Amino acid sequence: MTHSLHRRGSVESLRNDYVLLFTPAARINHEGSHEKLREIVEIIAEAGPTNIGSYEIRNIYDGATIEDIRDNLYKAAVPRVRCCFSDRDKVMQVLRKVKENDYGISVTVSGLTDEVLKMADELGMRPHSINLSLGVWGRTERLPDKAVMEIVSMCGHGMLAKSLVEKQADLVRRGRKTVREAAEELARPCTCGIVNVDRAVEILERYLAQGDLESSCGAPGED
Amino acid sequence: MLIREELCTGCRRCIPYCPVGAILVEEPRRVYIDQDLCAECGTCLRMAGCPTDALFEPSEVYEKPRSVRKFFSDAMATHKETLLPGRGTEEVKTNDVTARVKRGQIGIAIEMGRPVLGAKMTDVEKVIMRLAELGIRLEGNNPLSHLLADPEKGTLQDWVKNERVISAIVEFAAPAERLEELLGAIRELAAEVDTVFSLDLITRFDDDGSIPVLPVLDRMGIHYRPNSKINLGLGRPLREE
Repeated sequence: MTHSLHRRGSVESLRNDYVLLFTPAARINHEGSHEKLREIVEIIAEAGPTNIGSYEIRNIYDGATIEDIRDNLYKAAVPRVRCCFSDRDKVMQVLRKVKENDYGISVTVSGLTDEVLKMADELGMRPHSINLSLGVWGRTERLPDKAVMEIVSMCGHGMLAKSLVEKQADLVRRGRKTVREAAEELARPCTCGIVNVDRAVEILERYLAQGDLESSCGAPGED
Repeated sequence: MLIREELCTGCRRCIPYCPVGAILVEEPRRVYIDQDLCAECGTCLRMAGCPTDALFEPSEVYEKPRSVRKFFSDAMATHKETLLPGRGTEEVKTNDVTARVKRGQIGIAIEMGRPVLGAKMTDVEKVIMRLAELGIRLEGNNPLSHLLADPEKGTLQDWVKNERVISAIVEFAAPAERLEELLGAIRELAAEVDTVFSLDLITRFDDDGSIPVLPVLDRMGIHYRPNSKINLGLGRPLREE
């Protein structure tokens, strides 16, 4: 599925937002891929991801460590590694090493198309296929406002609730949390670990400064 | 998901975590989960840290018909048939080795209910049926394929139809020359469904690195976002066809 494809926001907001997916193909090359993915997790850890998660044990903002993620890959019949970065140089470092080691595992990068293609060119890669986002169709008038959408669309599986965004924004507004603490809470429900916390901080700061992100549902629940 | 009301203190901690707004309050303190709205994604159970363990997932969520909600909504659930987590296939993620979308073809994914609103399976069926009229067949590895009653007509099995999910992805490949026709049909469907869908278009790069579908999109006035997902071609064995 395409859980990193439909991230909303301006070009400027998306500029430092990269999602990397390392995916063996079920029944084609997934057998024997566990060790390769363990090595790939170590390469990612060395670069320093903004977030990383797994279907098996959640993400690094929800109690898992990168070592936990690496050591639990064996639990999946078809293991997968998902992570995001806020720094182009780190992405280049990871991709360069993965290419050198020639693991034969499929790699996708979600980000600004022109930028990702430029990076691939610099690394001497020949991109194979592209998944384009043609946007959201249908009853779009029912969607939350732009500020909420920019944050919740970072979890493509839809695990990040708009009410949680409003709740966390409210806690920041009342001085009960820092913006980063709020952003890290927003990253928890995204098991895959592709909510970019640095970008969530930027979005929260931008919209809170504008007086946006007012709660539309009473921001219920304990602090 | 259910709440053991005898254990619930009414603290409401769980409410903001529900992506579909299914946790409701009957004043003054009764907190309950609307079973029609609940998508069985498990987020409240994993995230809220209920102080009295009042939230619980009954085993029925893994059995028909609630299992439809579970497998199409919980990112941590893996479909038994396809070995894939989530609601669709590996789409472009592994296209370099699966060649699911070949040269001269396009891949389209209609991600029903995404973002935020979720989808009723009746709306999903409406889309599959319209595509079936056009001779389109779902991707075989897509979990929806296992829920069809009649692949020729695109109908879903009856027990599936009343279910609601966070998203279900209608995926298929077609010859590239049909792109304009298919996008026209999808544009009509957008006016008929009672939810939203995110629309994906997969294509191979041309030998010169260009993206062959862009002229069609421009001609039809269909906007594509500046961000995309790119398969770098590092998978082996590489399928070039």
